[in-house]
Amino acid sequence: MSQMDTLLDKGKQALGWVDERFPLTSLYKAHLSEYYAPKNFNFWYFFGSLALLVLVNQIVTGIFLVMHYKPDAALNAAGVPVAFASVEYIMRDVPGGWIIRYLHSTGASAFFIVVYLHMFRGLLYGSYRKPRELVWLFGIAIFLCLMGEAFFGYLLPWGQMSGWGAQVIVNLFAAIPVIGPDLSIFIRGDFVVSDATLNRFFAFHVIAIPLVLLGLVTAHLIALHEVGSNNPDGVEIKKKKDTNGIPLDGIPFHPYYTVKDGFVAVVFLMVFSVVVFFAPEGGGYFLEYNNFVPYDALQTPPHIAPVWYFTPFYSILRATTSNFMWVLGALALIVGGLTVVSTKSKNVKALAVGVTAILLAGFALLDAKVWGVVLMGGSVMLFGLLPWLDQSPVKSVRYKGVLYASVLSVFVVAFVLLGILGTKAPGYAFFGLIPGEPVAAVCSVLYLAFFAFMPWYSRMDATKPEPERVTWK
Amino acid sequence: MKLLDKLLCVLVLSVGAVVSPVQAAEALRLDSAPVRLDNASLQNGAKLFVNYCLNCHGASFLRYNRLTQIGLTEEQIKDNLMFSADKVGEQMKVALRREDAKQWFGVAPPDLTLVARARASESGTGADWLYTYLRGFYRDDTRPTGWNNVVFPNVGMPHALWSLQGEQEARFVTKDDGHGKQVRQLEKLEITKPGLLMPEEYDAQVADLVSFIVWMGEPAQATRRGLGWLVLAALSVLAVLTYLLKRAYWKDVH
Amino acid sequence: MSNDKLEVSGGASFSCNCADSSRRQLMAATAAVGGAVGVGVAAPFVASFLPSERAKAAGAPVEVDLSGLQPGEMKTVEWRGKPVWIVRRTPEMLESLKKSEAMLADPGSSRAEQPDYVKGAGRAIKDEYLVCVGLCTHLGCSPSAKFKPGAESGIGDDWPGGFLCPCHGSRFDLAGRVFKSMPAPDNLPIPPHTYVSDTRLIIGEDTKGA
Repeated sequence: MSQMDTLLDKGKQALGWVDERFPLTSLYKAHLSEYYAPKNFNFWYFFGSLALLVLVNQIVTGIFLVMHYKPDAALNAAGVPVAFASVEYIMRDVPGGWIIRYLHSTGASAFFIVVYLHMFRGLLYGSYRKPRELVWLFGIAIFLCLMGEAFFGYLLPWGQMSGWGAQVIVNLFAAIPVIGPDLSIFIRGDFVVSDATLNRFFAFHVIAIPLVLLGLVTAHLIALHEVGSNNPDGVEIKKKKDTNGIPLDGIPFHPYYTVKDGFVAVVFLMVFSVVVFFAPEGGGYFLEYNNFVPYDALQTPPHIAPVWYFTPFYSILRATTSNFMWVLGALALIVGGLTVVSTKSKNVKALAVGVTAILLAGFALLDAKVWGVVLMGGSVMLFGLLPWLDQSPVKSVRYKGVLYASVLSVFVVAFVLLGILGTKAPGYAFFGLIPGEPVAAVCSVLYLAFFAFMPWYSRMDATKPEPERVTWK
Repeated sequence: MKLLDKLLCVLVLSVGAVVSPVQAAEALRLDSAPVRLDNASLQNGAKLFVNYCLNCHGASFLRYNRLTQIGLTEEQIKDNLMFSADKVGEQMKVALRREDAKQWFGVAPPDLTLVARARASESGTGADWLYTYLRGFYRDDTRPTGWNNVVFPNVGMPHALWSLQGEQEARFVTKDDGHGKQVRQLEKLEITKPGLLMPEEYDAQVADLVSFIVWMGEPAQATRRGLGWLVLAALSVLAVLTYLLKRAYWKDVH
Repeated sequence: MSNDKLEVSGGASFSCNCADSSRRQLMAATAAVGGAVGVGVAAPFVASFLPSERAKAAGAPVEVDLSGLQPGEMKTVEWRGKPVWIVRRTPEMLESLKKSEAMLADPGSSRAEQPDYVKGAGRAIKDEYLVCVGLCTHLGCSPSAKFKPGAESGIGDDWPGGFLCPCHGSRFDLAGRVFKSMPAPDNLPIPPHTYVSDTRLIIGEDTKGA
């Protein structure tokens, strides 16, 4: 027993030595053992830690893949591009290589599934509202990085979908007036997607974006722990504290949420393993069939679609035709008009008129192709405006009215339909009957309207009073 | 309130589930391939592949000694299957030069290592496509090779297995597609000149060949599934333990 | 962890003595199974550091044609990326092995890395041909051939002929045996090899029946 005590003593001394030089104990307390999280987290609150888990998976598997992968578009002796062959080398010749590669490829899709659900949680419970605007903005930046990371990484296997996907997306930039064509050449470093493109995309995928991503994830967490977590009731637990200054509805993140998230992580890993070990191609959505054919710059595959996680935005791009510009014009007019009618400030009125006029002129003068690209990018950026668009007196959907619940449901359905349509070839019809194009156009409008009209419907909504304390069990 | 959360959850999941399986009308109906990944089928498939495919097509990601995984010894591989390689660790490269091949067939015959994975589509698995394709050659004098194919119209490849299957003729009919358009549809394929094998025997041989090509696309697939069960078993135990642990801690939270 | 006081919401603070033992057992079980799963997860990553099938194929046996090799000449072939020497020894060279015996660290090659079918002072299947891996057992440099005996070699009057490592001066005789008090601890390794005919040798494959 005394031996045990001296050992404990020694440990405390060592910890004290470190603490005098580095805030280990205080960091541990601030972020784990004395970070008080609301005790009423539900299902939707698991996806943050799961996203972190997937991030770690991607980084670790990525490091090991880089040890064997070669970003080289030259043909080897058998006439196969070296990059493509090196992926198959990993799948066949490297011991354990196939597991590592499937973990990485499945992880990419899992990342987006987890992050989309994490973002949906924000929409449900108003996690973007004051004082969590920066948490939300860092999150949007993470999402943008993730899209970049996925896009750059998708070129690396150098299959048909890799090459042609990059070709299409890089050519989007060619739509930008004046500088566009030169810009797309600048991005590729060549007149076509080539070895130069592959090498720079490799550099972005394995080091540039991951560094930014890690910085943003840290900022996201620091900002979150500064303001504290939101919860399904959307009430601030910091308003009600006990005599020790601890929130009455809070529990220490460690051990309570570490054990809870630990269990959830294992369940997640089981689902993840089912894909990795029994369906790594994910029905052609996680690994596209055509990507098992090496990139051929002379022949586009018959059906080319982005990977599933980009398809909602890609659908909006495709829906933006010259006819659709009339709809956009009408939308701009209505939103501009509403702003003018509902504000008292002269400056805001003038701004609204100005912006609407510029938009209308732009819709008339510039190609629909340009606006397609702008809308695709803009449809992601719109999420960043949510903290200021939402004018509801309450945060959570539990206390918002039927109006918001319906609008959110319509938004989700529109988003999913856009996603499905984006995976289909043009001319697709649901059940062979309902043509896809008008559905995509309607869904695009609904998507935009969710954001554009939020300042009004969020105020009109019949809300219920928030409770004083969180509701639980 | 809780009900609303759950309803939204169900909504998200169900929209995806309901709409996604809906497919566009298929242009082509593929026969389902009876893939068998047992050693006997795979060994027969390997023999067929080496004798009938490897002259023109490479399998440049597959090393000969990988065939030990389907129950062959290195000696058997060397003596029976290696015609164009010296070492058993070499990959199944093709003897034909790419430039020559391009000259003869118009396109260089593609590498076949991954063809079973690449040919999968909404119409069926890659194996289904291959099984239908290899049984779908018919005589067509308008083609330079004298052959055409029902699933790969105007294919550059002649019927490599014709000595086994014999010659087929395709009967087409013109039908109304239901929307007032007249479309040419395949009615049936008929054997006009029998080959060495009866049709059922030929189908069985093609099934073995396709099985081998499926195996070749991912030699680790059997290991992958086996390991999967082990991983799931281990994670299940861990899931139970972490759940109990979570419950042990959370019983104090009121 | 053991004497944590867990502050729980509602001001209810409690010490977890009551639940301590069951929690600790659960924690131990979870840690054990979690650790085992962790080791399993690490396995493919660790395995990926092993030589790949490509590296193994590159390390396949090498066949050497000896017909052109004159007595007293040496030939170097690559096997698994390493130099393998084949020296066709003259009767004088074989004689020199007896002379060097007294100066060697391990004349019987008891510690040396060599197949069982390589025996005696000559360390060869056929005494005429020495087959050995030309990498010094000290730090892996490739020694230079110094076949000429005596003062002419520039090494010493009593030099029986052999190999000298340029890096740290280790000396080996014409059977690849290391001299006493040299930086190199052991004799040069003999790779597995076998003769398919009188003049054809396979390096990397053991003699059958051995």
